[in-house]
Amino acid sequence: MNSEKVLFSFFMILALTLNFGFFIGEMDDPQHHNVYELFAVIVVNLIATILKFGDRSRLGPMLLATSLVALVQLISAAIVWTFAVHVHETGLTPSTMVTIVSLSGGAVLANIISVMLLMIETTMLRR
Amino acid sequence: MMSNEEPDRHETSEEAINPVVSMIMLRMRTPLIILITVYAITIIGLLLISGVDDQGNPWRMSIFHALYYVSFTATTIGFGEIPYALNDAQRLWVLCTIYMTVIAWLFAIGNILALVQNPIFKKALNENRFKNQVGKIHEPFYLVCGLGETGYEVVKALTSEHYRVVVIEKDPESLLDANLHDLQEFVPCLIADASVPRYLKLAGITKDNCNGVIATTASDETNLKIAISSKLLHPEGKVVCRSDIHSYEENMRSFNTDHVVNPFQTFADIFSMLLHTPSLHLIFDWLTGAPESQITDEPLKLNYGRWILCSYGRFGHVLYQKFLEHDIDTTILEPDETVYESFKRDYIDQADKMIIGTGIDERSLKKADIENAVGIIAGGNDDSNNLSTIMTARQINPDIFVVARQNLRHNSELFHKTKADLVMQPREITARMIRVLFLNPLLNEYLTIAKKQDEEWSNIVISRLSAVIGECKPHTWTAEINEKEAPAVINSITLGRTISLNHLTQDPISKDHKLKCVALLLERNGDYQIMPDDTTPIQSGDHILFCGMLEAMNSMHWTLKVMSSLNYVMSFENEPESYLWRKLKQAYKGKERREKLR
Repeated sequence: MNSEKVLFSFFMILALTLNFGFFIGEMDDPQHHNVYELFAVIVVNLIATILKFGDRSRLGPMLLATSLVALVQLISAAIVWTFAVHVHETGLTPSTMVTIVSLSGGAVLANIISVMLLMIETTMLRR
Repeated sequence: MMSNEEPDRHETSEEAINPVVSMIMLRMRTPLIILITVYAITIIGLLLISGVDDQGNPWRMSIFHALYYVSFTATTIGFGEIPYALNDAQRLWVLCTIYMTVIAWLFAIGNILALVQNPIFKKALNENRFKNQVGKIHEPFYLVCGLGETGYEVVKALTSEHYRVVVIEKDPESLLDANLHDLQEFVPCLIADASVPRYLKLAGITKDNCNGVIATTASDETNLKIAISSKLLHPEGKVVCRSDIHSYEENMRSFNTDHVVNPFQTFADIFSMLLHTPSLHLIFDWLTGAPESQITDEPLKLNYGRWILCSYGRFGHVLYQKFLEHDIDTTILEPDETVYESFKRDYIDQADKMIIGTGIDERSLKKADIENAVGIIAGGNDDSNNLSTIMTARQINPDIFVVARQNLRHNSELFHKTKADLVMQPREITARMIRVLFLNPLLNEYLTIAKKQDEEWSNIVISRLSAVIGECKPHTWTAEINEKEAPAVINSITLGRTISLNHLTQDPISKDHKLKCVALLLERNGDYQIMPDDTTPIQSGDHILFCGMLEAMNSMHWTLKVMSSLNYVMSFENEPESYLWRKLKQAYKGKERREKLR
């Protein structure tokens, strides 16, 4: 067992699960989407991205790309949130919430692809 | 990360990813993860600890404020306690934050600095830059391996003719010595061992516009490896190698290396010319000399008699062969007993020709009977010994002809001061030969044919050459009669006109004058015609070697390329070149004809 590999997979799957946890719930209801969960998703995604740096396997560039996509989506969601609460001070209106959640939904998709690629890579290794 | 399990995949994907980028990424992984983790922990801490706002109400930082706070603390900017003054619990945590984040940053910066200082990283960076520079060369270029004294001369010669050159040199010191910035063209340079095929590929050997490879490193073995690699990687390219040792030379020739230049052998050939036809040596010197070199117009005169050869090494050996060929009496001075023994074995009947002695002191030179010798060759591989031999020999016999071997460039001044009659510099001879081989291959053919001619022939050539060039250093060039180089000539030939050599050598500005040049050699379908007659008609596909003034070459290009210039020298009426003039002329001619009929 390769502990590096364990850590790598752990962060990638954790990024997906946390992201999914944040995404699930009523789209426009701020009660269903926790800001701290978004924070955790971003941190875990950042770490997952950096773990993919310099990975020279054949799927390495693809893995890095999916993670970068997820990060862009999540950071946009966080920026929208910050603007709504701190800059415009309109608070979390349903329309803002829908934007934030749909952005994180895109990140979920990117993370799913990432985990799928990881699975493909693993099965290729077995052969 | 998965690469350690699969080494073969690691290899294949390595080519695709830029090594510099991947090195930075790999190296920065740990510091970045530490930095993010520290940020996350400190932000969470700030979020959890509750404080009070300015009205005394319980208050907690939002994620945005916490990130802002940590960011300015971590970078030691420190805006103070914003938005509200902190309580002691928060201050305690901020204390931890400061130390943790600052250490994490220092670690990250330290890593970047270490990476920049890392020699492997520097090398990767240099290789990357070199690769980009080579990639930008779209015109034909030459690859020179080894930038020693020979290599530098070659690079200088090629760049002064505006050819692009790429250099691989192992020793960074030589790069500093050779000032590549003073050259006419920008020369990309890589510090690497040229015998490694990967570096040759990096230098663009597999590119279509790589015209040739010149291996001039000091080691014959490296040159051999370069020659093999280049013939395998880019079989169409020309390969020229320098080689000092005969067995390597044979080996290089065995796999179609285009030319092998052995400076000692080359000098022996030149010297042999001097022994039997001194004027041929003069022609050789004129035609192959470097563009800005001084020329002598008097052939060196050698007296017939006994020669003294000091040191019987690689150089002495080839020279002795020449003396034997010309049946000239020789005395060899050699300090090494083992060389003496092997010489006795090889030439049993001439064992008395070799005397053991250094040749640098009066006693050994007198033993070789220097008073009655006509010439002495100081041919050792040590410059100070050679200088000492020359000076001692001149003291005993002031009229003696002195040939000196100069090994190092920076001793030029000393050798010049000794007033040796002939100074042999291996690097200069190699560079001269490579220049001829690459820039003017037809000249090499000419010299090969000329070597077989006699004194009378050479004297005629000399008088013809001096008539056109006078005191100046002649320039040699090849006129190629083809669509690209001589469109006007090809056009005239297709019109059915007969152009002969004397048309080309007329001045296209005033045709009663002759250009200051002489045709040396005409190549037609692989046949060579030496010193072709002025009335020789020119055919398409001919290659003609000319020798003369630089201005003559420029004027001749007009005749070759511009129809009106060619028409002028051939006394033909000029055809109008633009559409309008052609129409007007046709109309005018038609009118003339109608009037005549009436």
